[in-house]
Amino acid sequence: MALLEGRKICKAFGGVQALRQVDFVVEPGTIVGLIGPNGAGKTTLFNAVAGTFRPTSGKIIFDGADITGLPANAVCRRGMARTFQVTRPFAAMTCLENVMVAAINRHPEKPRSFIESFAHEKLSFVGLDEMEGFEARHLNVIQKKRLEMARALATEPKLLMLDEVLGGLNTQEIGQAVEFIRSLRDRLGLTVLWIEHVMGAIMKAAEQVIVLDQGQVLMAGTAAEVVTDQRVVQAYLGE
Amino acid sequence: MTGKRLGFISALILAGMCILPLGLGIYPQHVLIVSLFYVMMASSWNLLAGYTGQVSFGHAAMAGIGAYTSGILAVKAGIDPWIGVCAGTAIAALLGLGLGALCLKMGGIYLSLTTLAFSQILHIVIVNEYDVTRGTMGLQVPGLMAEYSKITYYYIMLAAAVLTLAILYRMIHSNLGLNFRAVQNDEVAAKSIGVKVLQVRVLAFTVASAMAGFAGGLYGHYLLLITPEIPSLDLQFNVLAMTVIGGMGSFIGPVIGAFALNILAEKIRDYGEYHVLVFGLVALVVARFAPNGLLGIWRRFRTRPHARSSNRLQD
Repeated sequence: MALLEGRKICKAFGGVQALRQVDFVVEPGTIVGLIGPNGAGKTTLFNAVAGTFRPTSGKIIFDGADITGLPANAVCRRGMARTFQVTRPFAAMTCLENVMVAAINRHPEKPRSFIESFAHEKLSFVGLDEMEGFEARHLNVIQKKRLEMARALATEPKLLMLDEVLGGLNTQEIGQAVEFIRSLRDRLGLTVLWIEHVMGAIMKAAEQVIVLDQGQVLMAGTAAEVVTDQRVVQAYLGE
Repeated sequence: MTGKRLGFISALILAGMCILPLGLGIYPQHVLIVSLFYVMMASSWNLLAGYTGQVSFGHAAMAGIGAYTSGILAVKAGIDPWIGVCAGTAIAALLGLGLGALCLKMGGIYLSLTTLAFSQILHIVIVNEYDVTRGTMGLQVPGLMAEYSKITYYYIMLAAAVLTLAILYRMIHSNLGLNFRAVQNDEVAAKSIGVKVLQVRVLAFTVASAMAGFAGGLYGHYLLLITPEIPSLDLQFNVLAMTVIGGMGSFIGPVIGAFALNILAEKIRDYGEYHVLVFGLVALVVARFAPNGLLGIWRRFRTRPHARSSNRLQD
């Protein structure tokens, strides 16, 4: 059974149809890439799935339950975590506190000592443990992305949704990041849904790729199938 | 600061506060009692504005609700002022719950305007419902004890302030405090990692309003005359100035601000209208040179040799 399934998801902002009848599935234990030209509706789809706003119509099935219209905090509780394209750290809180917020809402009954070491562990996992006492506003963009990742992991998700985490990285760093994301799946057993513009990374890591264009699913398939498809090339490069 | 040291310092300050009024005359005692009222107001407003980012202008109105509820119950129904204060606290909490729920979808300036409107409506009702509230003449109410004693009032207000601060301290340093600050920093991000944002915001509103109602109720029975001065914007802006000048978003900042500004206000009372000018200048200087308030100056002074950034906001 699919971990996440979208059925005919539509979202309109006033007269603009941002998503039209989007159908997709994410199988458990896979890394799924979500690609498409700018303005295709990728982040809108994330927001609709994660409960940031309600889709105009359609259904979202997660882990066997209908989560359409649930608020984001309830969706998170069911095991879905996300990062943001433009990072949203709690700027005036320390890195450790940022992650602790996620931890206390996952484990509200646990004592503070547990929460702190749990948060510390997540920060080390993304390589930010040296920054834990610093307020998040002092981090650079890449560190902020890592912090969001640690925060998302601290909610102990089944599905992790990443929104363009590679922006601003050089080739070598991209290689490391791809390894890292793969290890999330291999070591932690996470399922990953991943919006990315860096095609090389998606080609390397994703088993399945969903292509969005103008709010519609253009095609879904393996990475190799997608990049050779004529429609996809056209969507990116034009006729 | 370690827990032990903090406890020791608090105990020392508390002991000092207990002894302080003994050698003082009636007038300085009065100034201290009013300061303690403002400590409760500024600290609880800080929970809303400083910790959850909800800049409410209806906080003085909640104090007014507490004062008038208790006062009217005492005058019209002969109910004991202590029970009246409890009733006032409860009504303020209930209205806070309602107002908080009304403002849930609002942020920033819209929340401020809505609470401002609430405050003005209440003010108009109080001024015009002469039969119940005695309007601008003020409602004469009985005191908290049979025989009027300044020093007893001082200790009652001190105990109330300590109780309020203890509850706030516990909240801020619990999981709830982390959730409060997460909501203030970024609601969308907070929601995405499981924070029940709506619940957290309404809770802050309810608790802060209850505390304002409690403070207002006691204050009314101390003054013995409840006037529309309590639920006024003047008082609201005093509370705002104290919190901002003391240090918004810190536990102790509003306490320092309340004492500093209230005592300053008394000192410059002789200059009549000019005291507003001095207030404005103080606010201006603080905003320009110490955006984190008096507490910020103290912290900067203490941490200058180190990286300031590693400062935690909370203690």
